[in-house]
Amino acid sequence: MTPPTVLEPYPSAPAVDQSPGDGLSVVNTSPPRIDGVEKVTGSALYAADYSLPGMLYGKILRSEQAHARIVHINKNKALALEGVKAVITHADVPHVLHPGAPAPRVGQLVADQYVLAEKARYFGDGIAAVAATTEEIAEEALHLLAVEYEPLPPVFDVEEAQKPGAPSIHGTEGNLVGPPFIIERGDVDKGFANADAIFEGHYETGRPVPCYMEPNACLCRFDRGGKLTIWSSTQCAFMVRGILSQVLDIPAHDVRVIVEHMGGGFGAKQDLYQHEFVCALLARETHRPVKMEYTRKESFLGGRSRHPTKIYLKQGLAKDGTLTAREVRYKSNTGGYASHGLGITAVGCLDIASLYRCEENLKIEGIAVYTNNPIAGAYRGFGAVQAFFALETQIDEMAVARGEDPLDFRLKNIVGDGDLSPSEHKILGDGLAACLKRGAEETNWYERKKVEQPKEKFLKRGWGVATEMHSSGAYPDINEQSNAIVKMNEDGTVNLLIGMADLGTGTRTMAAQITAETLGIPLKDISVIDGDTDIAPFDIGAYASRTTFVGGGAVLKAANHLKRQLLELASKPLNTRWEELALGSGRVFVKKSPNLEISLKDLVAGEGGRPPRTVIGQGNNEPTVAYSFGAHFAEVEVDIETGQVRVLQVVAVHEIGKAINPNAVAGQIEGGVQQGIGHSLTEDFIIDKKTGRPLNPSFVDYKMPLALDMPKIKTIILEEFPDPGGPFGAKGIGEDPIIPIGPAIGNAVYDATGVRMRKLPITPEKFLKALAEV
Amino acid sequence: MKCIVSTTINGEQRELAIEPFRSLLDVLRNEAELTGSKKGCDVGDCGACTVIMDGKPVNSCLILGVEADGSEITTIEGLAAETAPGAPLHPLQESILQQGGAQCGFCTPGILMAAKALFDETPNPTEEEARFAIAGNLCRCTGYTKIIDAMMTTAAGEAVR
Repeated sequence: MTPPTVLEPYPSAPAVDQSPGDGLSVVNTSPPRIDGVEKVTGSALYAADYSLPGMLYGKILRSEQAHARIVHINKNKALALEGVKAVITHADVPHVLHPGAPAPRVGQLVADQYVLAEKARYFGDGIAAVAATTEEIAEEALHLLAVEYEPLPPVFDVEEAQKPGAPSIHGTEGNLVGPPFIIERGDVDKGFANADAIFEGHYETGRPVPCYMEPNACLCRFDRGGKLTIWSSTQCAFMVRGILSQVLDIPAHDVRVIVEHMGGGFGAKQDLYQHEFVCALLARETHRPVKMEYTRKESFLGGRSRHPTKIYLKQGLAKDGTLTAREVRYKSNTGGYASHGLGITAVGCLDIASLYRCEENLKIEGIAVYTNNPIAGAYRGFGAVQAFFALETQIDEMAVARGEDPLDFRLKNIVGDGDLSPSEHKILGDGLAACLKRGAEETNWYERKKVEQPKEKFLKRGWGVATEMHSSGAYPDINEQSNAIVKMNEDGTVNLLIGMADLGTGTRTMAAQITAETLGIPLKDISVIDGDTDIAPFDIGAYASRTTFVGGGAVLKAANHLKRQLLELASKPLNTRWEELALGSGRVFVKKSPNLEISLKDLVAGEGGRPPRTVIGQGNNEPTVAYSFGAHFAEVEVDIETGQVRVLQVVAVHEIGKAINPNAVAGQIEGGVQQGIGHSLTEDFIIDKKTGRPLNPSFVDYKMPLALDMPKIKTIILEEFPDPGGPFGAKGIGEDPIIPIGPAIGNAVYDATGVRMRKLPITPEKFLKALAEV
Repeated sequence: MKCIVSTTINGEQRELAIEPFRSLLDVLRNEAELTGSKKGCDVGDCGACTVIMDGKPVNSCLILGVEADGSEITTIEGLAAETAPGAPLHPLQESILQQGGAQCGFCTPGILMAAKALFDETPNPTEEEARFAIAGNLCRCTGYTKIIDAMMTTAAGEAVR
């Protein structure tokens, strides 16, 4: 058994000047979003809002079989339809395998996708595409494509897929995407032998879909020189460039990816979807711009869901209420293609190794398995949602079995300062305990049983709690890196260039606030370009709760780099050493005599007939990792006759070091809670177990919480443990709030009814079935 | 074959030549070149395409363009009285902006139009009425909290400049 590799906290914390002197004036405040006026007036442009002269419309033909060889596709009738300009099938696309999920330098990605394949691996897999002069003609042409399928036996369940003789989806042993992810530390056998009681259980999570409001869309144009411009709704413009460049065999400088406004992504839009390749190929073939927009149904079928998981969890409990060992088997159902299957499985395994101490006696094995379901990919909470649902549910079961308050039991075992984090770093700060204690105070936790139950005997109320910790960024799976460029213009205003898309989270505003704070200029003097690969410096993308921590750090470094140059420039006219100068209110001044000053405009503007110079700050940030912490408290009301669970209120406490924009942070938390309530109670993308046909690919049949369904959410932001590696101490928040809400609701259902729910979502049917078994 | 449809959009009389099968949403986005109304589902489930037609909020994806003949339509582009940069916003827009009720912003135009329809009829809605008015508008970013906050501060007159 191997001892854990303990890393010191955050060895490469950037050594930058983080103290702007007399307190913060822009950072840690909540100005409205800098792109907010665009959004409330309908003038913000999203990918599907762009049109070009001569533009064609592209459409994808999707397989109506979950597993089938494509014997032949007859294009003749479709090509004969007036207005049809191109039809492509697997025979017409580059024979290059790509991983679909773009994250370079990561060993966990599997190149298993062709742009269009000879074999359909899920119901909805794209097998051909057309371009036509109108959307309707393109649609009609799809119906004229005659597909000859050779049906293959499908498999949908992870356990079935592993059995000898199961249909093989990619020709791998047991349909495994890759080798198992294994963590072995200490001695679990000894740990279990020392336990006073053993707890074991099987936990399952469903197939929620991100349901970003903007369906996938892109517009492609080739110029006569062979340069491709693609306007796309993607979280990772540079990854789109990289993979398109590779598959289409075009050098990077001849692929320009532009992301302006984006209608959400929630992780799923990290992947390259089929339409992004197909659209470019159709544009190349027809010599005309091509636009493609997924329908909502296609965004379900050809989109990315969360990985459904089956998790076996076993833990040992000592007499004194401490944990002695933990054993886990974590199985992810990745669907027809790997996408992030290995990554989410690894993250799930790493996460479940932490959160609660267990004397470091751990035996964890995770696998990702191919099945003929639609593709599961990255979705906010990436493996952690599933892992912590299992762990936080069982922790609750242990507390109940001991007759101990679930909060006290958690406080006794929760990891804290110096304990081992999922990335095997030492944890910085007792953030989890702080969140638990603050939430207990807010909810009057220890008095909760005194609250009167409803008069109706069939309505039962109860409270539940659960916690989470989440890394800001994907380290150690990815060696994180971000870049930023800050240009000062001749009038003292600033253009900030970053490569991270603002998928709705407020990236632009966060980056502008950090810049304004550092340079001492007003927010309105900053313009942000993000997600244009021809203009912005490389950035891997907006995901993994990394934009503020990693990308914001790059912005801070770039702004500091610019600041230093401005101070050095000003030292001559002010006749003072640069170290004795400061920036503020759009000027450089002498710290000791602030009346000695020069405006930024005068400083950078040309003098003596010489044109102005451009002063450019550049920042490259390569931090390791930081952890944000959270605890959610949920009150539910269960109707034990109908099985309906209603969330009455949620108190969400998050420790994030420093909130660059507290209002935007609260917005992230509230939205995460909504999605989490959805996947806990009503949201599940259901795939027919015989045919693989998705049964509810619409917003009528796939139920997200509406405005009427949402409870009051009290968000509490703690800033007790700023991270030395984060800009102004800030850590991530994007994914955290979706993680603990599920087990908090499940534990509340138990508190209310005595019925333990181990499968998400907790539908009325599942609840009533479990109730009948009690 | 195209039909000529005569309609008032955001106070401007428009004559549009459209195919009879086109939805009002497609007509607004493609023919009238008003892309503020969004296509989130195209089947009436998400509300991102909400516009006000003759005083009532409608899913423009469920209305045929030809049905708009002779009607008066307000889209998100017509919500504020003026469209010049820096011109004052409609109080609901100002309030959504200040409260942070727009995150990705894709549902925002539809939500604002549904909210306007409510306020036109009920200037001081209760929170329940506000939630009901946007119950047909899906939002995936905000959890609706700040949208409802914005509607309630508008009701209280706080966001009016």
